[in-house]
Amino acid sequence: MKSVGQRVPKLDAADKATGKSRYVQDLRLPGMLEAKILRSQVPHGRIVSIDVTEAWKVPGVRAVLTAKDIPAKVWGYSKDQVALKGDRVRRIGDELAAVAAPDIEAATEACERIKVVIEPLPAVYGMEAALAPGAPLLHAARGSNLVQTHLYEHGRIEEAFSKAAKIVEGTFVLPAQQHGCLGPAGAIAEWDANGRLTMHDPTQIPFLVQRDLAEALDISPADLRIVQPCIGGAFGARLDLYPHEAIVALLAKKTGTPVRILFSRDEDFQTDPVRPRTIVRLRTAAAADGTLLGRDADILVDCGAYVSWGAMTPVVMVNTFGNFYHCPAARYRARTVCTNTQPTGAFRGFGNPELLFPMETQMDELARALKMDPIDFRLKNANRAEETTPAGGHITSCGFKEVLEAVRTRLKRPAAPAAPHLKRGIGVAAVFHVGGGARIYRSDGCGATVKVDDFGKVVVVVGATDIGQGMETAMAQIAAEELGVDVSMVRVATQADTDIRLWDVGVHASRTTFIAGNAVRLAAKEARKQIEDARAALKLPADAPLDKVVRAEHFRQKGRLITASVFYDPPTSMVDKANHGNVSAAYTWGCHGAEVEVDTETGQVVVKRIVAAHDIGRAINPMHAEGQVEGGVIQGLGYAMFEECVLKDGRMQNGYFLDYRMPGIRDIPEIETVLVETNDPEGPFGAKGIGEPPIVPIGPAIANAIADATGVRMREFPMTPERVWRALRGNR
Amino acid sequence: MRAFAYEEPRTLAEAGALMARPGRNQLLAGGTDLLVRLKRREWTVDTVINLKRIAGLRGVEARGDHVFVGPLTTLDELAASELVAKRWPILVETVHEMGSPQVRAMSTAGGNLCNASPAADLAPPLLCLDATMKVWGLRGERHVPLREFFLGPGKTALEPGEILTEIRIPPALAKGCFIKFCTRRAMDLAFVSVACAAVGKDVRLALGAVAPTPIRVLPSVEEAMKRCAPIDDVRASAEYRREMVRVLVRRALARVAS
Repeated sequence: MKSVGQRVPKLDAADKATGKSRYVQDLRLPGMLEAKILRSQVPHGRIVSIDVTEAWKVPGVRAVLTAKDIPAKVWGYSKDQVALKGDRVRRIGDELAAVAAPDIEAATEACERIKVVIEPLPAVYGMEAALAPGAPLLHAARGSNLVQTHLYEHGRIEEAFSKAAKIVEGTFVLPAQQHGCLGPAGAIAEWDANGRLTMHDPTQIPFLVQRDLAEALDISPADLRIVQPCIGGAFGARLDLYPHEAIVALLAKKTGTPVRILFSRDEDFQTDPVRPRTIVRLRTAAAADGTLLGRDADILVDCGAYVSWGAMTPVVMVNTFGNFYHCPAARYRARTVCTNTQPTGAFRGFGNPELLFPMETQMDELARALKMDPIDFRLKNANRAEETTPAGGHITSCGFKEVLEAVRTRLKRPAAPAAPHLKRGIGVAAVFHVGGGARIYRSDGCGATVKVDDFGKVVVVVGATDIGQGMETAMAQIAAEELGVDVSMVRVATQADTDIRLWDVGVHASRTTFIAGNAVRLAAKEARKQIEDARAALKLPADAPLDKVVRAEHFRQKGRLITASVFYDPPTSMVDKANHGNVSAAYTWGCHGAEVEVDTETGQVVVKRIVAAHDIGRAINPMHAEGQVEGGVIQGLGYAMFEECVLKDGRMQNGYFLDYRMPGIRDIPEIETVLVETNDPEGPFGAKGIGEPPIVPIGPAIANAIADATGVRMREFPMTPERVWRALRGNR
Repeated sequence: MRAFAYEEPRTLAEAGALMARPGRNQLLAGGTDLLVRLKRREWTVDTVINLKRIAGLRGVEARGDHVFVGPLTTLDELAASELVAKRWPILVETVHEMGSPQVRAMSTAGGNLCNASPAADLAPPLLCLDATMKVWGLRGERHVPLREFFLGPGKTALEPGEILTEIRIPPALAKGCFIKFCTRRAMDLAFVSVACAAVGKDVRLALGAVAPTPIRVLPSVEEAMKRCAPIDDVRASAEYRREMVRVLVRRALARVAS
């Protein structure tokens, strides 16, 4: 193949490197005002009064909005969210009022002058406390802080545990993780004279925002157009509608002029839809010969104060829980809970890192208890191609054995360290993830149009969204391959808006290369057929250049343009009420190996080396695939070793990059990436998704390496020096 | 960031006059601490007084019986000084543990000390080197030993209107080590820092981040444990910090002895 499989540099790399890409922070519309939101400093309380008189006295202020100035619309995943809070605040950071002014200083000054009286109510921060009888209720209408219970079961669980030779169990605690996008949240709203709204919004879900924002604003979705500027990272943080999007639209409507809202870094920390705090109680049983017999999980997931995508993570967890490894009996309960904390959302991996830390730790514990090699133990229980799991997952391509063997051959036991207080060890962990979309909406589809113009330029207009992951380049390579043209002749219209692009559910679930890739491939194939038909009908020679054929077809009597549109929706189903079903058209497999050195006197862990092997079906662009793997490994390393939101009385204590630690370049070890290509039958040119899997197994691989080095099991992230030191001392 | 007046005095006298004006007047050196506080609206100041136009406050040079380090010397310049590298490699080692290349290009030696963070990285090695702070004020000049300079978190012996004009280091060579203990391997604040230096046969020890100020202590694990008074905060618990003092002081003393 000439384009697919080539290491084509990212098409947007030069613009990004030279500052030419336009993010929402770079956009300025004529007459544009800046917006600022006044936020609650009380974690839970009844709003007694909001007096905005003084705010209006700041020179230049053009609008001050509170709940009584806006449509009384309730919206959100569970219909518990409003743009501006009128009667109740449920967390520090809740939106109380909003100001538009010519500059951010005036808007901020005006917000500071608003007088708010809030009568504090008892607040609740921990999930177990929130479920206890008599706990303060966040949403009285729900009758409880319990949002939803997700159940799943297959096989005979009690029997499995009763005949086990070895049972391991443990409680695992996972922190809230911040996305920390380079580009903080923001949006610009402008209304035209006909009452139609245009949003410049770096969202991951333009077509769902079109529907959801219209609902929140009480307007018709037909009057709303979403334009996405260049997106400064997302990782799941832009997967829902958030109050600021409604607020900026309301301010623009009120003032009759464009309004922009940009979050400061502090505000971004305070409002980021973090990865949910999760507590997993898990036990796993195996027979003496290393056959897995059963697993049993009880899980709590923190939604925060309002229900957003954090509440859906049990749906992904259960997919792994029911499908991964041959496990004849499995029982699962996950409860989602509201607390007076930052609402939680989607984050790369979406539940899978939270579940696989426990699962892969216990795989390691069982292997050791049964005196088996951890890779042999996994191989013995591994899924295979062309099998249907008890959960209803249909496995097509499967490179699980290959990724395990790839790590086995590359991860060597290190030499003993020089100093007695240093200990070295190695560990492995595996991942199973959706790789062919994930049908969590009724449609998991994506539309694409390919046109070939008179000059041989190929334009791809695809519903998919580039959040920095390289969608643009991957789609160009797929179209180029199918049309037999050079990648340099393909343009992907990444700036096209929802009026122009065909529908797509959004960028999530590692789905874009697979789903949008298939849509583009099919549209390009159709365009190529049109060209070849024209060539034949016009009796042009086989070596006539493409542009010449297109022009000949265009400029004849009853001429035709070369253009094809396709909607691709994968052959999958939503899960049923019992959480059974085949949600993805392909599944991906991966294994990470880690080598660590532990300072047993200080608890400091240095990750020396990482091997990351992933079955990705086919690498459309091996360089970008390696980039995705390295990025995922680093973000997963941060989750495992450094990152957590530390709360005190509902307030984040480390909402800035000094004390919210993401890995820096000196914290990142050598990463050896292995791409295993299994040529998936449904994927475009055999490709499967790779966006999320690499963030998942790195944490448990490191934890297993720490156990190998020291004999101590870590069951809480992040594995900071102090936590490891406490674990080494046998206390907490 | 709230609005403020901005001044660039050319002499210490001009700076002193500006400092004497009513309101909150804040000196600006590298700005890597001040600008963060202003942008986060933690501080409101009436006037920012940039010291960079005042001659004679920057650079490293031998002067008679001591070495002059100008307070506006950037961390990069400090580490690049041949004089420093030859006499006190511990200072070079310390600078390399501080911030990022961008921060080291902006932030100054004087700013790091006058900010008076208990975790200020330059403080422990300079305490070991017996540095003295030369201070200018409208009422005259005075010298304050670094050991007496820090009064508490964010508090120094500088009186209102006084400006640090020199970090004075005795010329004796020292060999030593700086251990900065933190979670990340760069761009982090110390939970505990330990500087240990041998000047001739005299072994000196100083600690950071485990007391309200950086402290010089007698060179033994027992003395360090006795003198340290760490707190619980978002970075580490007091208990853990105390135990790390034990481990790291032992290691630092052993390294200097070897």
